[in-house]
Amino acid sequence: MKLHLTINGKARTLEIAPNALLLDVLRAAGCKSVKKGCGEGSCGACAVLINGRPRNSCLVFAAQCEGADILTVEGMGTPEHPHPLQEAFIKHGATQCGYCNPGSLIAAKALLDRNPSPTVEDVKEALDGNLCRCTGYVKRIEAVLDAASLGKK
Amino acid sequence: MLKNLTHVHRPSTIEEACALLAAPDCKNIALAGGTYLAESSDTTIQGLVDLSGLDLNFIRETSEGYAIGAMTPVQDIFKSKLLKGATGHLLKAAAGRIGSTLLRHSITAGGNLVSVFPWSDLPPALLALDAEVQIRKGIPKRTVPVATLLEKTPREFLDKSELVTEIHVPAYGATTGTSFTKFAKTANDYSLITVAIRITVLQGLIRDVRIALSGCTKKPVRRPEAEALLKGQTPTPERLANAAARAAQNLDLTNDFRASKEYRSEILPVLIRRGIEDALRQIAA
Amino acid sequence: MPTTEKSRKKAPARPAQGGTSATPARPASLRKTSATHSPKASAQAPAKPPARSAGRAPANAPHQPPAPSGAKAPVKSKVQAAVKPADKAPAKAATRQTPAQPRGKKVSGKTPSQVPDKATVKTAAQATTKAVAKKAASAKGEAPKATTPFVAKTPAKPVRKKTPAKVTPAPQTRAQQTSQPSTPTAAPKVVEKVVEKIVEKVVEKVREPSPIPQYPLTYERPDHFHVVNHSRYKLDGMSLVTGAPKFTADIDLPGMLHIKVLGSPHAHARILDIDTSEALKVPGVVAVYTWKDVPRVAHTTAGQGYPEPSPYDTFLLDSKVRFVGDRVAIVAAETPEAAAEGCRKIRVNYHVLEPVFDPTQARRPGAPIIHDEPDCKAPLPIFYDPKHNHCAHVETKVGDVAMGFQEADVVRERTYYSHYAQHCPIEPHVCVSYLDENDRLVLRSSTQVPFHARRITAQTLGIPLRKIRVIKPRIGGGFGAKQEVLLEDVCALVTLRTRRPAKWELTRAEEFMAARTRHPMIITIKAGAKKDGTITALSMKIVSNTGAYGSHALTVVSNCGSKVLPLYKIKTIEFVGDTVYTNLPVAGAYRGYGATQAAFAVESMMDELAEAIGMDAVAFRQMNHIREGETSPIFKALGEGREGVSMVIKSCGLAECITRGMKEIGWAEKRGRGRHAPGPRKRGVGMCCLMQGSSIPEIDMGSVFIKMNEDGSFNMLLGATDLGTGSDTILAQIAAETLGCQHDDIIVYSSDTDFTPFDVGAYASSTTYLSGGAVINAARQVRAQILAVAASMLNEPVDDLTIENRVVYGKGRKNKLTFAQICTFAMYEYHQFQIAAVGSHVTHASPPPFSAHFAEVEVDTETGQVKVLKYVAGVDCGTAINPQLADGQTQGGLLNGISFALTEEYIFDDKGRMLNPNFKHYKIFSTADLPEIVTFLVPTYEPTGPYGAKSVSEICINGPMPAIANAIYDAIGVRLTQPPFTPEKVLAAIKEARTAKK
Repeated sequence: MKLHLTINGKARTLEIAPNALLLDVLRAAGCKSVKKGCGEGSCGACAVLINGRPRNSCLVFAAQCEGADILTVEGMGTPEHPHPLQEAFIKHGATQCGYCNPGSLIAAKALLDRNPSPTVEDVKEALDGNLCRCTGYVKRIEAVLDAASLGKK
Repeated sequence: MLKNLTHVHRPSTIEEACALLAAPDCKNIALAGGTYLAESSDTTIQGLVDLSGLDLNFIRETSEGYAIGAMTPVQDIFKSKLLKGATGHLLKAAAGRIGSTLLRHSITAGGNLVSVFPWSDLPPALLALDAEVQIRKGIPKRTVPVATLLEKTPREFLDKSELVTEIHVPAYGATTGTSFTKFAKTANDYSLITVAIRITVLQGLIRDVRIALSGCTKKPVRRPEAEALLKGQTPTPERLANAAARAAQNLDLTNDFRASKEYRSEILPVLIRRGIEDALRQIAA
Repeated sequence: MPTTEKSRKKAPARPAQGGTSATPARPASLRKTSATHSPKASAQAPAKPPARSAGRAPANAPHQPPAPSGAKAPVKSKVQAAVKPADKAPAKAATRQTPAQPRGKKVSGKTPSQVPDKATVKTAAQATTKAVAKKAASAKGEAPKATTPFVAKTPAKPVRKKTPAKVTPAPQTRAQQTSQPSTPTAAPKVVEKVVEKIVEKVVEKVREPSPIPQYPLTYERPDHFHVVNHSRYKLDGMSLVTGAPKFTADIDLPGMLHIKVLGSPHAHARILDIDTSEALKVPGVVAVYTWKDVPRVAHTTAGQGYPEPSPYDTFLLDSKVRFVGDRVAIVAAETPEAAAEGCRKIRVNYHVLEPVFDPTQARRPGAPIIHDEPDCKAPLPIFYDPKHNHCAHVETKVGDVAMGFQEADVVRERTYYSHYAQHCPIEPHVCVSYLDENDRLVLRSSTQVPFHARRITAQTLGIPLRKIRVIKPRIGGGFGAKQEVLLEDVCALVTLRTRRPAKWELTRAEEFMAARTRHPMIITIKAGAKKDGTITALSMKIVSNTGAYGSHALTVVSNCGSKVLPLYKIKTIEFVGDTVYTNLPVAGAYRGYGATQAAFAVESMMDELAEAIGMDAVAFRQMNHIREGETSPIFKALGEGREGVSMVIKSCGLAECITRGMKEIGWAEKRGRGRHAPGPRKRGVGMCCLMQGSSIPEIDMGSVFIKMNEDGSFNMLLGATDLGTGSDTILAQIAAETLGCQHDDIIVYSSDTDFTPFDVGAYASSTTYLSGGAVINAARQVRAQILAVAASMLNEPVDDLTIENRVVYGKGRKNKLTFAQICTFAMYEYHQFQIAAVGSHVTHASPPPFSAHFAEVEVDTETGQVKVLKYVAGVDCGTAINPQLADGQTQGGLLNGISFALTEEYIFDDKGRMLNPNFKHYKIFSTADLPEIVTFLVPTYEPTGPYGAKSVSEICINGPMPAIANAIYDAIGVRLTQPPFTPEKVLAAIKEARTAKK
């Protein structure tokens, strides 16, 4: 079946199987930042923004996204023009292996889009679905808070 | 993976959706958030009926309380500014303990209720609040208490072509307190025991009380006998403990790899007692 | 061979010193030869002109500038004759190894006289090194004759082996021709002088050993760090946060097959028959392989140095399955779905055998024998008794323990249990294989050990190693899980048989069941102390469960002693470790590597002893812990599959870790107080002290190649493997510090067996300490070359030059040259050569990092729930090369340790099936579970480590289990011995303690 959607600002028409999951469709469409970590909605490595909501793309049928606006990390910023969150992740050492970064950056962006002045608790809550085995989360939380404070300036 | 899935329908009206679900020649299943179906390997499912185009994503105030659209992501309930008071407290607490933020953006109120699992967080809260659901079968509709819906399983209760479209939750006044306890190994773990409490105290006497449990039983349950022990009484520590103990009795508690039956039975009265105490503190506050 | 393992490994260290000054690695500047980069070319080049310069052995350093070295005898003698006919033996030795200065020769037309002088100067030093070399060689067990390579008159074969290249004669003519036109702007005389200077300086400064490098034993502490010890940003950070497709699975290859491996449903069974006909009929299925179709080569999946201290007990596929999830058959198909369907269609007739799950039952007579196959064996002459499921045994004794216990005022004994757990890298194991345009097999794999993966894959499939190239792209975490060759053999098989690219990606469930785990252990510990705090005796007996295969079976259990027991001054010690096979998931390397399990037992016991003699737990440790200048007999007693290496502690910041940690947690105010507070929730504080190691001394080797580019940047090709830890960045910082530039002037490319020099890989807390040493060795050579060129360009002596941030300054900063200018000169101007060098490193010690961990917990005595309120960790990792990344290691490791202590566990049914192989029921902590975490670094300077560095990555995971257990004891007076401390277990322990009291 045909699927019409916007990926990172570009209108796309994709041919998909009815049972295809968004994760696989996005990776096949070239968005390799969307990572598969568990395939059961537990790790958040596949999180993308669907109409502004951060969701696990492994638990979303691609067919659910007809007309949807999808944002992955590729659309958040580029090495030339990184998003403040991406810069903050680097600055604070919130990236180690980086496999979970795309998902957690998406979740962090969703938070700041809704709440530009989050508290530590807000950040902990917003990122609670993005497992990271490398960093222990401390620096990730610092990074999000720092990006938020930069956004205010 | 739904191996034999051939169609995904995107109806724009409830009538259309119900008609698709009624299709005799094709097994169509309602698709809400999708978190359950995306992982399912049910080979009998041939079609999905995507409910996202039915305008069922809302939280409204009504004369009796609140109406919550079945397709409302539970994250919206958790973060709602509209939901207030004892009802709001319990609904938000329950919704906020579902899965993780990412999952809460996918999981819907209707989906969490209709696909009820032993550990689902919203159903016990709805039980404690005496919530009702509006069920549509095309144009015709009926309103049913959540307690009735959960007597068997919602899927058994509902006709093939019926859809839960709204959840109606009464609002309670300042004399009512609520509490929600999810006991689990980690914040995102499935519940080992969930306790939802609503208690109304007038002039020092308990006028009304609901004790609803899940996680430790096959499906969410209310504990009317224990509730009766409290009704009309002053809430002394002894009475609370007694009622909590009673609430924990005569239950077929789950024994699984996550926790033994014995353990669950041991801490259940503690969690119920603490839940009631928390709800009472709510009133005081 | 195995018997001489030790000497074999050790040998290079000694002669290195002899060889060091003997054979200079000289920059190619001295000659212009077109063949210098190709070993073959240089070897085959006809010796047209009298050979003066030697094409330096490129075999071990393909990109290294060729340098003169052991030339053929006739050549040498000629040189000698030309240089100094009357030279005596020492001089001969020198000439053999530093044959004619090719440079001198080239320029020699002009200034011949200088060169011989130099040669004689060098020989003086060599005369003495000869003796050393001889000694070393005889220590090696070789006949003294074998040392003659160091003497010129017998240019024996071994020499050539070590300095492999035959001499490539320098095409002098070309050099001479080009010398003039190449500097058209400069007056010829000036040019000549400049060139002379270059010659001198380069020859002087760049003189390096060639065949056997010398490893510095200590690194002097600089006055000031420019790049290291600063939190520089991670070099790959931007690409990672912008989602660049750099992980293993991020490439799509046309025609790629998808692999699925059918896992055994039984814990122990013999495969009587497999019918694959239905599977082959599934549309899209391309190939199905069973044990009948593949070579049977016993090997180990443990990615360790060769020969491995783990038994060869694994086969690509076997007719027997030994745990639930064990390989049964391989299916390759056009789609993942077809591969899965193919697996479902395979019909297997199993003869189910009785399994054994309990490690204490496994060795009993009559227990089912898991490895009854005749061809399993240990590649080293070490204990291995598979017929009794007894996979490994290690024991050691210090003093008389019985006497020690007699001497004690108090003796305590208890058994501690450490549980099954998984690494849970967020990226599961994945490997992509394909044939390149030269028909060589490429394995793009999420591995921590690319070189071992290449070797073991070649071994398993019986194909030449040279046919395989292993590339490690970015990998999504490893923690030891990927120090295992789990996928490569299957991918290689499929690609070689089908000639198509193939991918195998483990599902999360497979990752849990069929990848690797932490060795569960039963540790019985008995210890005695005197009332004054002296620890008189400690006995530790361990049963380690390796599951169905013996990956890391011996070394993990050895580490239980070697990385834990030296921490305290214990008068007598008895250590016995036994590893057994069971029909459960396979254990392997996991961050902490045995120290995690043992630290739980030992640190719990330290608290018990302290309490028994009425001492504060901290004071007791402060009194007994090891300090700078002290040693432990355990260092020598326990190594990795053989004796260890004795060493003296040269840096120890533990005392400060303890005192600062106490303040952070509020030890004085809180310890012993919480238990008496009202209400069901009790608070307590607990602590522990830790050590680990840094590399496996005298076993592991790392190497690095650095070359300079004409814009002043450097390519650094690392064998070392960055598994997400940031080692690429850290090693770039070390290189930058040495070279005098910024870390982003270093372009790092790591872990590609075709392009990077060898490194054992990322394990044993070795990368910073070991590979960092190799970086310094390479960078020093490159720096010397830069200075030599600059010296001649500036016409100033090298000693007057300084380097500061990519600029070389002359005396008084009057003259300066940028790195770009220098490299451009060396590349294009005159007597061109590639500024570049290879550095290798072997460590001779494994200096422990030290750490003190403190936990504050709240225990709900009515539900058994334990909540960590605050966690404090102070770490002495020597100089933190990148403090932010070091801190990140600590935080990540300790949070992993906390959820390991509280929630993570494998739950099995009675058939050995894991019931929770998913993140839904195997709970690792998320941000929502995060306690307050305070980490700090206590800087020390470890003289044997690069810029004073020790390791940091493993130590931090060992603390939470004992610190939390000790805190729980402080809160409720109940000692927990069976982690994870789930609410149910804690409540049961509380009840048990209550009953016991009554």
